[in-house]
Amino acid sequence: MDFQTSQNKFDYNHPLRPPSVVMKLDRLGSFHQTRLSFARRLIDDLKFQNCKIDIHKWNIDYNGIGSAIIKIALKNETLSLVIFCHSISDEERTDRVIAEKWDMTFSLFRGIPNKNELNQLSKNLKIQESGRHNSKQLTLSRANKSQRIFEKVLNDLSIGKQPSKKLINEVGYLIRTTAVYGNGKFGIGDFSNNDGSNFLEKPFQAEMLTVYLVRYFSIKLINFLAKKKGGEKSVTLSKHLTKHLGVGNATGLGMAPFLVNHQELIHQWIYNREKALSRVFSIKRLDKKTQNKIIDYIHQAFKYSSQWKVDDKLQSKKIEELNLDLKKILQNENLTKLLNFSYPIKKFFDFFKDDITLETQEILNSIFIEPFPELLEDLVNNMGVEEKKSVLIGYTVNDVLEIIKNNFNWALKIDTNKPEENYCFWYTSQTKLEPRLGITKKDTGIEKQLPFDIAHQIKQAVNILNKLPSNMTAAEVMINQPELRNIIKRIIINKSMPYSEIQNNLIGKNMKPIDILRCKLSFFGASKFDPKSNLWTRITLFQGAPLPNELWKTNVNDWLFPNLSNV
Amino acid sequence: MISVSLNEIYSETYKALRSVNIEWSLAKDCANKAKWLAQHGENFLGSILKTADLYQKQDITISINENTNEKPLASALVALLLVEYISANRITWEGYIDNTKFLIAAMGIVAEEQQIYLILEDEKKNIVAFTKDKTIHVKSNLDTNIPSYCFLREYDFIDRKNIKYKNLKKNKDVIKLNDKCWDRLQSMAFETYVPESEASKSGAGY
Repeated sequence: MDFQTSQNKFDYNHPLRPPSVVMKLDRLGSFHQTRLSFARRLIDDLKFQNCKIDIHKWNIDYNGIGSAIIKIALKNETLSLVIFCHSISDEERTDRVIAEKWDMTFSLFRGIPNKNELNQLSKNLKIQESGRHNSKQLTLSRANKSQRIFEKVLNDLSIGKQPSKKLINEVGYLIRTTAVYGNGKFGIGDFSNNDGSNFLEKPFQAEMLTVYLVRYFSIKLINFLAKKKGGEKSVTLSKHLTKHLGVGNATGLGMAPFLVNHQELIHQWIYNREKALSRVFSIKRLDKKTQNKIIDYIHQAFKYSSQWKVDDKLQSKKIEELNLDLKKILQNENLTKLLNFSYPIKKFFDFFKDDITLETQEILNSIFIEPFPELLEDLVNNMGVEEKKSVLIGYTVNDVLEIIKNNFNWALKIDTNKPEENYCFWYTSQTKLEPRLGITKKDTGIEKQLPFDIAHQIKQAVNILNKLPSNMTAAEVMINQPELRNIIKRIIINKSMPYSEIQNNLIGKNMKPIDILRCKLSFFGASKFDPKSNLWTRITLFQGAPLPNELWKTNVNDWLFPNLSNV
Repeated sequence: MISVSLNEIYSETYKALRSVNIEWSLAKDCANKAKWLAQHGENFLGSILKTADLYQKQDITISINENTNEKPLASALVALLLVEYISANRITWEGYIDNTKFLIAAMGIVAEEQQIYLILEDEKKNIVAFTKDKTIHVKSNLDTNIPSYCFLREYDFIDRKNIKYKNLKKNKDVIKLNDKCWDRLQSMAFETYVPESEASKSGAGY
């Protein structure tokens, strides 16, 4: 494979795992955050920027209603998070993206808004998608207080008591966002117009910064309200518990098509992750300190997974198996011996891999990458890619058929005539303009389906291409048969970017959208995946992350597996 | 006037064109050209709406071989395909074309991405536009003096004596469009949405 180029500075270059292994939904749906994840990268970038985060304006009353501005001073620019807190009833508070009222609405803004801009924001932010937004806004978001925890924590703090560790650990956040829009949605600024701002150019940087600031705001808010309510009796949330609070997020199908629509970007993310793994698998020797670090991370992973509780039966089973696997690894008498061998990480993984689940394999992969930030620097800074609008010139019918033979065998093996391989279809919902899944034999709207039937399109292309002269250019095929352009473009992209295609039938009965979501969310840096069905999940972001006043510290970005001791 | 983002231009354009049954890839190509024109400060919205109308009335064609003055090639839809075809097969194409500025957008996109040297000439073989390295140079305002019969080919050398060209550059961050035209595009895009079924609702956040 031409992507297996020599990219390591080692005597031995461990081969990248092939896309046929990596790009399967069950594995993608087992990914955990790594040092390449965007939440982790944001912390490094904020530190590099000597970022200063302060409350610029605070007009919030004792009921928690009002507005606030958080100022973010970076090296070359100032941004602000504009916040409005609203009064809503418990019945109006829902995780669904189709809600029309929220406890809080936010926008990351370029600069500090003036009076007119603030007026406009106050009218439009509260109605979110229905409002009209301006190009100085970089994100648009909203959140609700967690009904399980917010009031309890507030009451405890107001009477001078720290809230229960167990409760904080079970929920993990005070507020939960239901959407964080970026990149031009509803009139906000396009990320392509970032005027060379390296800080904002990286994928999902503005969204991650928004969530990080929302977390900071949630902590400021609870301490402020506790003080208002309890006066001198009140206490602020302990540093230890504060750090263990992240921001919750409820994510549904809206996120899934991204991985299908942005082939080049997905390739870049997964390719870099695989390169990172290849590099650490190619390390010949580990010093004692690094060996201990790896063992310590496995201990932390075990603590984290022991505290990871969900209602979903399938995910509960996976977590249970993960606990058993990690326990087995930690109790294995060869553990330290394995890390002393040459090519220790490779030996370690090979020793255990056949006896552990995908969930464990992938948590180990996150652990292996963790102690080596210096090996990842180029990868961390190279997670974005310029997506091509044109199709690369120079391919013939024969070339396209060769790529299909080599890279799309997974699609050719699917019997696309079987009803179970045509079980569902993707469409955009009229209600909230969000992608949804319909059942082919039951629901209306299949004529408006999104073109995610990749395996079907591959088979159709093979049938047509086989009848054409082998030396005909792909461009000539496409101009004569535009219905093949979508799939031929995908095939040609996949030649040089082999991790650009999920290797499952995305309209088959066995497809679980939750796996697609989990993959993307792992790149965001999410933890505590808590699936609520096959179609949506709750997660936590920035749990365990440093607080703004800690960003200057050494090793500030070591927070892979957030866990609380003595819970 | 309404301010819109480039991403909105892309997503609303391709959905609007899908609503009149234009092939996915052609709709997306057109959306990319619309975005390119918007970024370069050129009008595009009226042309998109007109293309949708003409396509429905079958007054434009997507065939590179069977175009006429009465039924010209729909440049908004197939210009990117045409540019790729000319470049891949190293041939000269000539024919009747509608909305030539979308062909110029396609030349601009391919120049940026693949650095192919292309030249567009009018019926008298006067140079209308050419690409060099990653940029496109045009002779005149794209809204006027645009020919309906063109020659498109790759080139090795061009004589630019006595002709002044402007280099089209990305110059727009905020795009302002006619409200009524934008509303029409959005209402066409809305036609591609489907009412949610109960089954699909049940998984979307409950």
